[in-house]
Parts: sequence; C-alpha cells; structure tokens
Amino acid sequence: MLLEIKDIHVHYGKIAALKGVSMEVPEDGIVTIIGANGAGKSTTLRAISGLSKISAGEIWFDGERIDALPPEKIVACGIAQVPEGRRVFPDLSVEENLRTGAFLRNDRVEIDHSLEQVFTRFPRLKERRSQWAKTLSGGEQQMVAIGRALMSKPRLLLLDEPSMGLAPVIIQEIVRILEDIVADGVPVVLVEQNAELALSLARYAYVLETGSVSLAGIAEDLHENDHVKKAYLGG
Amino acid sequence: MSELILQTIVNSIYAASYMSLIAVGLVLIFGVMGVINFAHGELYMAGAYTVVALYSGLNLPFFVAVVVGMVFVGLLGLVMEYAFFRALRDNPLGGLIASIGFLLILQTVAVLGFGVRMAHIRPSTQEKIELFDGVLLTHQRLYVIVAAILLLTALYIFLRKTKFGWAMRACAQDTEAAALQGISLNQITRIAMFIGAGLAGVVGALTAPLVSPTPYMGHSIIVTAFIIIVVGGIGQLEGAVVAAILYAFVHTFVTTFFDGVVADMVGLVLMLLVLVVKPTGLFGANDRV
Ligand SMILES: Nc1ncnc2c1ncn2[C@@H]1O[C@H](COP(=O)(O)OP(=O)(O)OP(=O)(O)O)[C@@H](O)[C@H]1O
Ligand SMILES: [Mg+2]
Repeated sequence: MLLEIKDIHVHYGKIAALKGVSMEVPEDGIVTIIGANGAGKSTTLRAISGLSKISAGEIWFDGERIDALPPEKIVACGIAQVPEGRRVFPDLSVEENLRTGAFLRNDRVEIDHSLEQVFTRFPRLKERRSQWAKTLSGGEQQMVAIGRALMSKPRLLLLDEPSMGLAPVIIQEIVRILEDIVADGVPVVLVEQNAELALSLARYAYVLETGSVSLAGIAEDLHENDHVKKAYLGG
Repeated sequence: MSELILQTIVNSIYAASYMSLIAVGLVLIFGVMGVINFAHGELYMAGAYTVVALYSGLNLPFFVAVVVGMVFVGLLGLVMEYAFFRALRDNPLGGLIASIGFLLILQTVAVLGFGVRMAHIRPSTQEKIELFDGVLLTHQRLYVIVAAILLLTALYIFLRKTKFGWAMRACAQDTEAAALQGISLNQITRIAMFIGAGLAGVVGALTAPLVSPTPYMGHSIIVTAFIIIVVGGIGQLEGAVVAAILYAFVHTFVTTFFDGVVADMVGLVLMLLVLVVKPTGLFGANDRV
C-alpha cells in the first residue's frame, strides 16, 4: 500500500471530527471518500497533509511514518493536495500560482517542462497565464489548483471536492483530466459529495459517517449497496 | 516663491523616500505574520545608533556603517521572529504586545549604551547639488533617495520574479494553501522579518547625520508609518509607497507653509478622511502584498 491510515483521531478543540478512521490507498487508481456534510472528509485529507494534527493513530506513506511531519515535509514526500474551495492565490498570476506548486523543486529546466505540460493539459490557462488568479472563473480556478498540485510532481494526489460549484460541462472536463492523471500513473484520493460521479470513477470507496468509516470496499459494489443507494444516490 | 515651492518638492521627495522604505517594511512583516510590528520605529533607531557607534565612534567609513546597520537590524528582526513572533503566531494581540515589549527593550539598551541625549553626527559629506537657482539637494539626502529607488526596485523584482518572492506573497494571501505547496512559513517569515527590519535599519543609518538620533526617535516615525499603511490599505505594498509619497508631500508642504503641528494634524485628518470614504484604504480590497 502506498498510503496507510491507521485508526486516526482528529479533534477541533473538544469536537471529535475523526474517531478512529482507517484507510488504504494502493499504488494506482482512484480511491474515493464519500459522505455527508461534516462527516470528516476534508479533515481526513487535512490530516494526511499535516494541516490538522492527529491526536491518535498513525499515517504511513511509502513505508515512512508521516503523521508528525509539518505540511511542507509531507509535500516533499510526494503528497500534493488540491484543497476544498480551490484556494488559489488570488493576487498571484496564473503562472505564479502554478510555479509555487514547484516550490520544493530546483530543476529549472524540468520545472519549465512541467509548466508546459500543465498548459497542454489546460490550454485555457496558457492564454491566461499572466492574469490574476482572482479574475478567473470557478472552473479555471479549479484547473489552476489542480495544475499547481501537479507542478510538485506528486506521487499521490488528494482532491477535495473538485466538482463543487461547477457546471456539468466543466465537471466533465475535470473528470477527463483526472482520468489522464491516473493514466499517467499518479494515484488519486478523491473526496466527493457527488457520490454517483465518485463511485463511477473510483476503484475503491470509503463511506464516512460522523467521523467513522461506516462502509468500505470496491466502488462498484458500494454503488449497488442498499444503504449507499438510499443515503447517497438518491434512492 | 517658486524656488520655495521647488525646494519643498525636493524635500517632499526626500521624505517620501525614507517613509516608503519604513512603511514597506512594516507592510511586509504584517503581510506574512499578521502582526503590526510596533517595534519598527526602534529598529529604525537601532540603525541610526549603528552609525553613531561605528561612524562617529569608531571612525569607520560612513557607508560601511550603513551596510552594517542594515544587516545588524535585519538580524534583530530575526531575533524578534525567533524569540516572540513564532510562538505567538495566530495570536495578533500577543504579537502586538510582544512587539511593544521589544520596543521597550531596544529603547532601554539605547539609553544605557548612549544616554538619553541627542547624538550629533558630523555629516559624511558637505556636497550639495544646485538643482535650479537656489534649490538645493544635499548629498546626504540624495543618498536616501537613491537608496529608496534601488531598494524598492530590488524588492519589487524579488517579489515578482523569484520563487521566494512568489512564496512570500502566497503566504501573505493564504498561509495554509502555501503550506500545501511545500512552502515553510517559518522560513518565509524569517526572510520577511530580515528584509522588513533591514529596510528600517538602513533608513535609520542613512538619515542619522540628518536627524540627530535619540533613543526615542522611533515614536514619531511609527505613528507616521501607521497613518501611511492605513491610508494605503493595510497589507498593500504598492499602496504603502503611494501613500508615503502622498503623505510626504502633504506633510512637507503644510510644514513649510504653516507649521509642523498643523502638518501632523492634517496627516491625521487625511487618515480619517480615507477611513470614512474608503475604510479599506486607497488600495485596499482583500488583495494583499
Ligand atoms: N476549523 C474547525 N473548527 C472546528 N470544527 C471544525 C473545523 N473544521 C471542521 N470542523 C468540524 O469537523 C467536522 C468534520 O468537518 P469536515 O470539514 O472534515 O467535513 P466534510 O466531510 O469535509 O464536510 P463537507 O462535505 O461539508 O466539506 C464537522 O463537524 C465540522 O463542523
Ligand atoms: Mg469538506
């Protein structure tokens, strides 16, 4: 397993957001985490990236224990996250946003090459490379956020609700890009409220309910599960 | 009369130069740490006393003393970051109180080391340029103007063209998202503190022969700098420069044609007007650095 989460707990003050969550992410394909608002999906990704400290449990990445590392060290291990709400840097240009993703890399020529790759994936960003990120549409900002994460050449990509607030055509575009990324050999952890979409893309799925994993398994199987159908697939 | 106006314009450019360097340093520190550094005026004072010690005391060349002053005060900034601000991150009030504490420490050290009286420093040069008939610019003041142009340009290039510059702006805009790019907030904070403090130090050092340093010289400068960053929009570097120029011209002209107390009042009224008309400052939106 590339990533192993073992019985982690996360507290915000006195509120327990995660109460013993365990997950495994293999070397390829998409693992999805679905669940209702406030179930703890974002908190799980934040814990992996070191933004929220865990109060118990362990997180292992490629044979190394990472749960005590600060966020920048976790990026250096090869885990990139596209956070909920995109969080592009509003007053940086598109190109500057993308280049901050390569902050830990020192290979100038290679960085330029990665930038061109991102522009090939997202031609719209190339046209807008010197524009302030805050002037972009929501879909374009999501592309910047994904492109920025790819600029670190991650070995694992965490995506928190990339479809949020986007029109169906744009979501399709994002999905196509996601499949490209996976085809290029980068495994993805996808957090989604759109369970239908998430289960159709992923190989494995975890269902989070109020801070605990209530169901886990092959995505296709969960798609047919009665509880999942009722609670997350609208019937 | 026209000579007086031209001379006042020249004086305003000088004032704008040193005030923008001070204000920009303050904004840079605020942008990354979210703390108004109330000890900024004392960093400026420390730069001035470096020149008192090295140039007046040890007879080292003026520019050697200035460069040492800049680096020394930059290092003081690192001490502040290490000793106070790091532990008080996400605690703006705590940071503010700590900076006031540091201000008192620096003042006390200056009093113990140099006494409370004004230190008179011989000018490093008597040269002056006659720009127009009867309109003079001393070299001592010219140094400050040139330093402001060079340092602000260098800072601009750093922030726009280098990866640490992007990282610093990224941290100021969204600390968490910056951390997710592998940017270490501690490292960026140190760089911002060093630059911000160093800029205050170099202004103090360069203007020391012009102002006669005292341990309390930081007071008036921090008040002025505060007005400027409010007018410019807190967190706005370009805003700080424009506001410094605006303030310097208004203040210098009112001082020349009325008097200094009226000028201080006009400065405050200017700030209040901006706050009433546009509470986020002239350049403020939520855009920062
Ligand atoms: N910064 C915080 N301070 C306090 N409580 C928080 C904080 N962030 C999250 N929580 C709480 O932790 C729990 C899990 O939140 P989390 O954001 O992980 O949920 P989520 O599954 O991502 O929800 P959503 O689908 O709405 O994004 C919620 O009860 C939430 O209120
Ligand atoms: Mg969430």
